[in-house]
Amino acid sequence: MRKVTALVRRELIAYFSSPLAYMVLTAFLLLQGYIFYLIVSFLNDPRTQAMTPLRLFFGGTIFFWLFLLFVVPVITMRLIAEERRSGTIEPLLTAPVTEGQVILGKFLAALAFYIVLWLPTLIYIVILKQHTAIDLGPVASGYLGVLLLGILFLGVGTFASTLTNNQLIAAVLAFAAIVLLFSVGLLQQLLVSSSALRDVFGYMNLWSQMDDFARGIVDTRHIVYELSVGIMFLFLAVKSLEVKKWR
Amino acid sequence: MIEVEHLSKTYVDTPVVDDISFFVPEGQVLGFLGPNGAGKTTTMRMITAFLPPTAGRVVVAGIDLDTDPVALRRQVGYLPENVPLYPEMRVEEYLRFRADIEGVPRSEIGANSEYVIDRCMLGDVRRQVVGTLSKGYRQRVGLAGALIHRPPVLILDEPTVGLDPNQIIKIRELISELGREHTVILSTHILPEVEQVCERVLIIDRGAIVADGAPDELRNQLVGNPVLRVELRGADGGATEPLGTLPGVTGVAHDGGGRYRVEHESTSDPREAIFRLAVDGGWVLTELAPERASLEDVFVRLTTRDETARPVPAEALEEV
Repeated sequence: MRKVTALVRRELIAYFSSPLAYMVLTAFLLLQGYIFYLIVSFLNDPRTQAMTPLRLFFGGTIFFWLFLLFVVPVITMRLIAEERRSGTIEPLLTAPVTEGQVILGKFLAALAFYIVLWLPTLIYIVILKQHTAIDLGPVASGYLGVLLLGILFLGVGTFASTLTNNQLIAAVLAFAAIVLLFSVGLLQQLLVSSSALRDVFGYMNLWSQMDDFARGIVDTRHIVYELSVGIMFLFLAVKSLEVKKWR
Repeated sequence: MIEVEHLSKTYVDTPVVDDISFFVPEGQVLGFLGPNGAGKTTTMRMITAFLPPTAGRVVVAGIDLDTDPVALRRQVGYLPENVPLYPEMRVEEYLRFRADIEGVPRSEIGANSEYVIDRCMLGDVRRQVVGTLSKGYRQRVGLAGALIHRPPVLILDEPTVGLDPNQIIKIRELISELGREHTVILSTHILPEVEQVCERVLIIDRGAIVADGAPDELRNQLVGNPVLRVELRGADGGATEPLGTLPGVTGVAHDGGGRYRVEHESTSDPREAIFRLAVDGGWVLTELAPERASLEDVFVRLTTRDETARPVPAEALEEV
């Protein structure tokens, strides 16, 4: 475990010593600020229902998704690809650490960065709470949904980063895979008649899953889906790192 | 300390390392010498448990690569070619990180860091960011990282490449010093380096060992009898015969003027006799020196080959 902690710490040093981290953080805050502005405008509208604002905040706008689809590949692209490009993978994998520990450390660092990205948004909740009544249940489940989406997407991104030694290619691969995962669920809306296939797509519909979390519905099926797919990709990442040596 | 038996690595039908066997006793400094693409790096990567071998056995400090690669890695400090480092970390941070992943006990991290910082002369850059260091310092940081867990075995892949002459001398001195406490394998294609630093040389070519021995031994073995360069002013061609009759001399060649090349048995030393011969003959002895065949000759002789020979696949050359 100490080795994993060391890997996480090293990775965080790398994140916060590059300008990219601050660019991402700034862009994210600008976007969330805009969404917050929308929420406040809603609240000023007398026709607003009590539940609407936070559903808007958690995945209710296309901005949320667009940004998430872009930002995750940026977070994960360097994880393994950069180690391979610079050759640092060699001292790393000749130290007594396993491939599993390496992937876990890298992934946890990416997840930590993702959480740091979201932390400042807690301020919006505090501000809103001073002016209006907020049900904290849906807020908590909304953040749970954000975390689970993060695990899923970052897992995919980590896997993509093991496939190449070029960060840009890793980012494009991750982006393509995440968009695919995201849009497969949206196919549900294209199928008119109810069928087994429609149900399958429905089960994978991330947008509606996030919407459920935002409304305060914690559905185990969603948790299982997002966690299991995320972990599966991490497992694939470990295997990919092992196989790279056997060529 | 290091046992390698019938080690092979094949990339898609092309053998890069082909049935190599050797043994390195504890405390020896062994040099891998060979042209680029000979399989030096691949062999080292297998001994450090980075690349799995296609066939063969590696045992380091009694630990078999097959049974416990992770435990084997603990016995080995490895400095890869081109010294990959994390440019954004400070020297101390980097050493701390290496100590953590090498599994150095927490209580020993401080002492070990101080030891390697002292050993590799990094005292004045300990707080500096690695990316801002010169190549010579980076090399020493890499070496410090490989030493942080005090491994019994050190494996250094081309440790002096890209350094200026002063830095090269410093690194070589450091390696020689380390050779007293560690078993060292280093690879290079620079010959004087091997002669200075290593007690024993393996010349590797096209994935196979073509020579094995102490640098001096190899020279004698492969170059034949020692040769003396002699110049006798005034002798012209007249000294060939008397030189040839001296005890121990096996051949004389006249190079024109008063210059001769005298080949003799390695067990005898005819220099005194040559001096007396000059005195008796009334010639002025202006030169009398052994012609040392360098290891360079040995190397060239052993590794010269047809350039159209087996191409190395691109995959094998690519950094993993």
